[in-house]
Amino acid sequence: MLFLRRFTVVCAAVIAFFPVYWLIATSVKPYEEWAAWPPVWLTDNPTLQNYRIVFFPEWAAEVAAEQQGSLDYKVSGSAWKAFQGSAIISVFSTIVSVVFGTLAAYSIVRYRTGGPNYPFQFLTVRMVPPIAVVVPMVALFSILKLSDTYFGLILAYSAFTLPFSIWMIRSFIEEIPPELEGAAMIHGMTEFRAFVTVTLPLVKGGIFSTALFIFILNWSEFLFALVLTAGNVTTVTLQVANYVSASSGKLYGVQAAMGTISTLPVIFFGYMIQKHIVRGLTFGAIKR
Amino acid sequence: MSTTGSACAQPKLELRQVCKYFDGQAAVDGADITLHEGEFLSLLGPSGCGKSTTLSMIAGFLEPTRGDILVDGERVNGKPPQRRRIGLVFQDYAVFTRLSVRANLHFGLESQGVPRKERNRRVDRIVERLNLGGLLDRQGAQLNMSEMQRTALARVLVTEPSLLLLDEPMSNLDASVRESLRRELKLIQRDLNQTVLYVTHDQLEAMAMSDRIAIMNEGKIHQVATPEEIYQSPGSRFVAEFIGDPPINMIACDLVASDDRQVLKTARHEIPVSGPIGEPMGECLLGIRPHDVVVRRDAFEYSVPATVRLVENLGAEHVLHLDYDEEPLRATVPPRFAIEGDEVHVALNVGRAHLVHAESGHVLERPLPG
Repeated sequence: MLFLRRFTVVCAAVIAFFPVYWLIATSVKPYEEWAAWPPVWLTDNPTLQNYRIVFFPEWAAEVAAEQQGSLDYKVSGSAWKAFQGSAIISVFSTIVSVVFGTLAAYSIVRYRTGGPNYPFQFLTVRMVPPIAVVVPMVALFSILKLSDTYFGLILAYSAFTLPFSIWMIRSFIEEIPPELEGAAMIHGMTEFRAFVTVTLPLVKGGIFSTALFIFILNWSEFLFALVLTAGNVTTVTLQVANYVSASSGKLYGVQAAMGTISTLPVIFFGYMIQKHIVRGLTFGAIKR
Repeated sequence: MSTTGSACAQPKLELRQVCKYFDGQAAVDGADITLHEGEFLSLLGPSGCGKSTTLSMIAGFLEPTRGDILVDGERVNGKPPQRRRIGLVFQDYAVFTRLSVRANLHFGLESQGVPRKERNRRVDRIVERLNLGGLLDRQGAQLNMSEMQRTALARVLVTEPSLLLLDEPMSNLDASVRESLRRELKLIQRDLNQTVLYVTHDQLEAMAMSDRIAIMNEGKIHQVATPEEIYQSPGSRFVAEFIGDPPINMIACDLVASDDRQVLKTARHEIPVSGPIGEPMGECLLGIRPHDVVVRRDAFEYSVPATVRLVENLGAEHVLHLDYDEEPLRATVPPRFAIEGDEVHVALNVGRAHLVHAESGHVLERPLPG
């Protein structure tokens, strides 16, 4: 039994971490090992060439000239611009989604706004396959002149992550006994002040973990970024897809390098707020 | 301390025909309560009877569907809780666990904008009165239940509310702590001449502390009276059955005229009665407390034999469950009076019993032994 349990855990770990390992391993492989057969598990000739191409695209031409195999790739815009684009869009849409999600969740929990099925109705928005809404979105966005703008993508991302925000934050607010706000109000606070000073600090951890989740969703989104932009705005995921060469096909090593770099902000963000995510002893303000 | 207040004095709290409906269902149905300055009134009833809803309406968390709520003569319907000058101690105390006890006590005064000097003075006074000195720097999360309760009480009292509402404040405490807190709460209430509305489902608490008790069931207030009156002259079958431990016996009975007098017939007894009972009233019940059931070893006047089915040991006294009708008859006796299976003789002290109309549950005249 113990063996089976351990075996299952190891399997799960392998399945979960293999892509990460492969991503990082590929990012430091030279060109000929990217898609070699038999596969190269760990390269003997590690190189930072792929990373250099990501940050200094003009350098690629030099490599192409002196190395066998062509890296004659064409990329619109640099990785820097993609990071900037992703940062702006992800941060702002996460803020919008979490702020509105918190207020909506509070209203749903405390006032039963919209009846018992209302939060679920929000979630059904996410049950539609994104590809199904993309075409009307493209049409709508071009009519509203929102295509290929930061504002447009922020709006689209906020709308599509709001159901998650509401659903998650709702469960955190539900854990806070209304008596705490009641006590604050009895002692002279308005309802809004009671919410801000009493309830909000107690659900802070939940809000931060929701924010991290939403941020990851936004940061890794591809479909909307692809169809709602036309070169002016670009994101990290679009940039990864851009590393394609006319003669060599997909530049796996460069894509892996870009992919590796693009996970760093998420890890950094997660690290920054981890102390808030761990729900300490302070949670559960009322002893039951 | 005045327990009822003079007739002309302004009541501290008045509920006038207050109703609250949820989805067409009445949670509170026409509640009338008047509470005078310095009075301790308990709202007593079983769970779900509407007492907490009533409390929420008084505090301002719920709006009544109909009726008026007056605090110090002023109608407060529609006013938010923070503008009603009402203090409330919640069942779970709602002590802010991330704040120290001191910060908890300052909380209300701070949010009301009381100057620091005055704040300190008032907090010091209440800390001394409630003996909280040793706890001041403790975090709320480190308190045990009775310390939380005292903190919550102090936090409210320090704001000097016009009216103090207590929502089952003892229900989380051990029986041993309850007794001392009951006494302390009553003493504090008297010292401060604080008007209190106390919500509880525990008749012992209500009987021990209250000047008056309002008994509530299914959204209706059945009776508002002193503990003595509630026990001795219950206004309805519900009140009679709800108050008293061991509970009152309700025996099916008939009143029949025989010659020029009336006879009260139960399954086993026939007792001549007199007094203003008047015409036959249909099916009746005789409500008689176990203390008023007379049990002896030997036969005596109006007694019938009965078998002891069960003996409950309550320490100072035993409760006998006697074979009588469909339901057993409960009687209290001194310890070691009888054991299960014994044959005893039992009579009913109808002079202390109540005649209850079976259908309506109204308490009719008390029968008099003829």
